[in-house]
Amino acid sequence: MDLAIALTINGLVWGLIVALIALGLSIIFGLLDIINVAHGDFFMVGTVLVLVVAGSTSFWVAVILVPLLGFALGLVIERLVIRPTIDAAALTIATSFGLSMIMQESVRATFGAQARRMPMPVDGTIRVFGLDYDIYRLLAAAFAAACIAAFFLFLSRTTLGTWIRAVRHDRETATALGIPVARVCAITFAIGTALALLGGAIAAPITTVEFRTGVDILPACFMAVIIGGLGNLGGTVAAALLLAVLEGIVSSVADPTTARIASLAVMSVVLLVRPHGLFAGATR
Amino acid sequence: MTAPLRWLVALLAILAIGMVPIILPALGATFWVNVAAEILIWSLLAASVNLLLGYVGLLSFGQALYFGFGMYGVAIGIGQFGLGIWSALALGVGAATLMAAIAGALAVRLTWHYFAIITVVFSLIFYFVAMSAKSITGGDDGLSFSLPPLFGKGGPSLSDRVTQFYFIYTICLVCYAAMALLVASPLGMRFAAVRENENRAALIGINVYLTRWIAFVAAGFLAGVGGALFALFGRYASASHMFYHVSGEAVVWALVGGIGTLFGPLVGTALLILFREIVSGLWDHYLLAVGAAVILTVMFAPRGIVGSIDALLALRRPDIGDADSDVAR
Repeated sequence: MDLAIALTINGLVWGLIVALIALGLSIIFGLLDIINVAHGDFFMVGTVLVLVVAGSTSFWVAVILVPLLGFALGLVIERLVIRPTIDAAALTIATSFGLSMIMQESVRATFGAQARRMPMPVDGTIRVFGLDYDIYRLLAAAFAAACIAAFFLFLSRTTLGTWIRAVRHDRETATALGIPVARVCAITFAIGTALALLGGAIAAPITTVEFRTGVDILPACFMAVIIGGLGNLGGTVAAALLLAVLEGIVSSVADPTTARIASLAVMSVVLLVRPHGLFAGATR
Repeated sequence: MTAPLRWLVALLAILAIGMVPIILPALGATFWVNVAAEILIWSLLAASVNLLLGYVGLLSFGQALYFGFGMYGVAIGIGQFGLGIWSALALGVGAATLMAAIAGALAVRLTWHYFAIITVVFSLIFYFVAMSAKSITGGDDGLSFSLPPLFGKGGPSLSDRVTQFYFIYTICLVCYAAMALLVASPLGMRFAAVRENENRAALIGINVYLTRWIAFVAAGFLAGVGGALFALFGRYASASHMFYHVSGEAVVWALVGGIGTLFGPLVGTALLILFREIVSGLWDHYLLAVGAAVILTVMFAPRGIVGSIDALLALRRPDIGDADSDVAR
């Protein structure tokens, strides 16, 4: 029973982090209609950068600095690589695949190929439901949840957030109303990238840090986006949590690979029964 | 390109590839015969992506699944059941096609993003199954076997480099010929109709679901042949070749070569594998160059290499060019 609780909480923690990353993927997907297969590698770059920056400063400085670097990186990549191929969604698969190769190989060339672990920035455990649980994991979950909430506030309360929603809703009307659509798209891509790096920064102490982790997390993010319903950001968060918790619960009775298979099987059933996402309204 | 010119180029290309095991060893580049064989094999995986994306407009990110079934069909057929090459080949391709028929019946109910995701999900499920069922598949370590003779004892054997090349070459030639016939047939016209506008296709009496399913099964067949040949080529099958990243690579090869063109995937696969082989000998971090090459190619040749050459030669027929750019959306 203890194991089941621990794995469920693990699932919840991991689900919140995946939700943060998937939100980034979702706004990029919804606004630019590109299939960004490099998104997982942005997460990976986040974990690596945090490890490096925290090595010379402190973890807390790194967690602030890395998403800002991600934002800048996103702006540059959008301008150089994404914008020239934006008119053809299928082509963006090839460009982002190229980006993914470049990022993985750059990390392998500079950081090395072996997997590393990062020390937890907060030591110690706390009693949760009668078992000792790492404080940092709970902090990570809280931080991810706070960032998700902040992101939703940003979208609903600020001018830029309103513009992003407007462009996603109706690009032509938004242009006619004087919204700088190209700039909004660039900033959206940069925000999405920053969210992936932020997710990586938060996750770095509780996962392995190496150049391949992006490939593992990418399917989970895409699944959250699709199961949650394309363009439904709240749905993305809910789906990410649901999938991670489900996997946590199943892995308490079976090995992790079986749990992964089970969550994938659930996913295919959901996709086939409710192709527009779990939370799509009756009108779709 | 006008039709006769197109066929002339295709014929010359087929002859040129057929000369590979004669010319390259004469130049002292025997190693490259195997690279050429490998290119032909992987091009079938890219061709299967192309059949779906270029001809019926479905983006599959899971073709490695059928490649894997072909691969394991051969490895298990020879290693466990002691089959000969031909029956193992039939087992692998049959298993891949059957799997595509089942998965396709579910998957083609969806389109575009949803279709892309369900194909990834299916391939991931079987990737993890293959990774965990170590007793059958060998998991990450893979399954190796020794080759039975091609036609009875004492006859030609695939362990001979040249025989192996012509074995792969002939099977690939048959596959490409079948694909050429398929896309030019009335069924191929229905593929194009579904790709261009599924509602209009349905209104003129085309069964959209069935058309997509047939394309999916045919694509699974192509990927299965590729996987079966790959197992024979490496005497080895491994779950790592079923990972979604392999499918993604095939999508990139097809896009770089040009989707919706018969030989685009072959050209894309050939260029990227050759580029990789050449640069990897010079530079440890050659993947940086490969990534940059992929990005630059699709940036400057958005229809892929073959598609762009076609468009250059057909400037007087801009209407056809427009139809192509719709495919890429």
